[in-house]
Amino acid sequence: MSLTALLVTQGLNALSLAALLFLISAGLTLIFGIMRIINFAHGALYMLGAYLGFSLTLWSGSYWAGLAAAPVAVGGIGWLLEFLALRPLYRRDAGAFLLVTFGLALVLTESVRLGWGPDPQRLAIPPQLAATVSILDEPFPVYRLFLAGTGVVVAVSLWQFLERTRLGLLIRATAQNAEMVEAVGVNVRWIRSGVFGLGCALAALGGVMAAPLVTAYLGMGLNVIIEAFVIVIIGGMGSFVGSAVGSLVVAGVQTFGNFYLPELALAIIYLAMIAVLVLRPYGLFGHEE
Amino acid sequence: MISRTMDRRRFLRAGLAGTAAVLAPGALSQARAQGTNPIRIGVPTAITGTWAALGDQVVRTCKLVAEEVKEKGGILGRPVEFLFEDTQGNPANCVRKAQEMVERHGVNLFTGIMASSEALAVTAKLAEWNAFFISSINGAGELTAEKFVPNFFRANTSGPMGARTIALYLKDAPQKTFFAIGLDYAWGHSSVAVFEKEIQRAGKEFVGKVFAPTGTKDYATYIARIRQVNPDGLYVALTGDDGTAFYQQAAQYRLGEKIQMFTELVDMLNLRPGGDATTGLIGSSRYTFTLDTPANRTFVQRFQKAYGQPPDTFDGEQYQALQILFRAMDKARTAETAPLVKAMEGLEATTVKGTVVMRECDHQGAQQGIVVRAVKRQGFAHPIPEVIRTYPADLVTPPCRKSSYS
Repeated sequence: MSLTALLVTQGLNALSLAALLFLISAGLTLIFGIMRIINFAHGALYMLGAYLGFSLTLWSGSYWAGLAAAPVAVGGIGWLLEFLALRPLYRRDAGAFLLVTFGLALVLTESVRLGWGPDPQRLAIPPQLAATVSILDEPFPVYRLFLAGTGVVVAVSLWQFLERTRLGLLIRATAQNAEMVEAVGVNVRWIRSGVFGLGCALAALGGVMAAPLVTAYLGMGLNVIIEAFVIVIIGGMGSFVGSAVGSLVVAGVQTFGNFYLPELALAIIYLAMIAVLVLRPYGLFGHEE
Repeated sequence: MISRTMDRRRFLRAGLAGTAAVLAPGALSQARAQGTNPIRIGVPTAITGTWAALGDQVVRTCKLVAEEVKEKGGILGRPVEFLFEDTQGNPANCVRKAQEMVERHGVNLFTGIMASSEALAVTAKLAEWNAFFISSINGAGELTAEKFVPNFFRANTSGPMGARTIALYLKDAPQKTFFAIGLDYAWGHSSVAVFEKEIQRAGKEFVGKVFAPTGTKDYATYIARIRQVNPDGLYVALTGDDGTAFYQQAAQYRLGEKIQMFTELVDMLNLRPGGDATTGLIGSSRYTFTLDTPANRTFVQRFQKAYGQPPDTFDGEQYQALQILFRAMDKARTAETAPLVKAMEGLEATTVKGTVVMRECDHQGAQQGIVVRAVKRQGFAHPIPEVIRTYPADLVTPPCRKSSYS
């Protein structure tokens, strides 16, 4: 493999990994931004997305139906969880949310175990994307290009939604000063539920898209949530742009780091995080609270 | 008043008679059970936890064997009873459950113990309990070497025997250069180390290795590295979800088209979740349902009928261990520990995996080594392990009370 081919394929690898990480961390950071809670159940919702995507694909016979329906279903579940479990706690301090979301993660994981059993479930790549393309004489899976492309499309659309629409404006306003938004007659509770549901739907989308790479398995949420936290810290808590940039940084560091320094594989993203925190204690795009 | 008392007496008498009638069959059956005295086999195994899927194989095969023995009218004219307990693969649990079986149920026979750490904990207590343990799963070499105890026998292929088998195969294989990818923890490192040593001993070139942490989800960068090194063969020491993710992604990059992949153990448990991705993978096997022996054909048929799927690795190993145990009981004419040990030493039995000789010197079952390749076959949703080469017992079984081949 030539050096150019290596750099190009590794760049694309990093981009496809960044796309997956972005879908998870964007939801996490949106939820944090607007509700000031760290959602420990996020990894479990990502896993639930993968399992639902698997079953819906099997049931409908189409990957695309599963890809579309699983995030909607998990978004609905997220909305319901916010309504039932989180809403009564907003007056309490942050510790209460930690316990409740952590508990939710355990309950969701055990529910998946009961529903689908302990064996991993394999979701095949849809036939349209199962091929490889030759990039500088090296085979590269089309599915990874699809991952990278979807990541970019979702990131740009979400960004435009937050910046250009009235609802996006209300979400940003609620993140800055919820009381003020409520005072001008906006139903903040409704926005909170919606954003929580949206965050969960994004995680589920990540889960369905990850399933053909890693299969849907019980520990998948646990592995990914830590990286998502690192991304949110690197990018700045609550910053949407930060989560996108953080995903690129973490994916790049992992892809190139594990290539040249595989011995540091476990430590490398934390080293990146420490480096960012030393230079910018609130993350790349974060602000002092 | 009087008549009422009479009534009560009569009622009481009738009640007592009734109770006696209900109790009598119970008492009778208890007496009958004591008369024939069932052979109780303790199976403290991992029913939940990390190894639950393997424990399930042990339990279902024991149940199948119990049925089979019942149809034949028992062993030595006595019924066989299996006692299952969950250890979750934890040595402390395993010893506690085994001890309970000894003390409460008078068990003196054990099998189906899952982890080697559990087996080592139990073998240390066998003399104290005057109990007998025939391993069906435990791979650790030292069980029949440094940690040898007289009441322990191993009917299954050990870890070193599996590694040896694949090493013998590699010596003959056309591939010249090898790279290894392993899981970054104890087993992955030791598996890769053994492989590296064997490759060099075979006079082939070991061109490098890389370790990935457990829970790695994106193997693209490791695959890029393997491509860049471009070896003829790749040794994969990744298991469970990590292995599945790797094979899946390697197939997406068409890695197997240029590079032959090898692994320590090819097992349906690993092939099932990977789908087509594991097609072509070569490795050693402790047991595969595709083994063509008369005993195995019968067993597979029976198993398929009972469970609607072919038996997996530890189904076959458990079945073989029990067949050997029953053969020894027949020879000893008893299930007592001491005579059974004597009968087992040097016992030759033909079972599902072919002929096994329980060596007197270290109690390891000398048996052939099997190399398999994962192939697509009609009627199966995933590749199945097909035998491509076998090596005779004397090449595969280590020297007496040794776990290496020097």
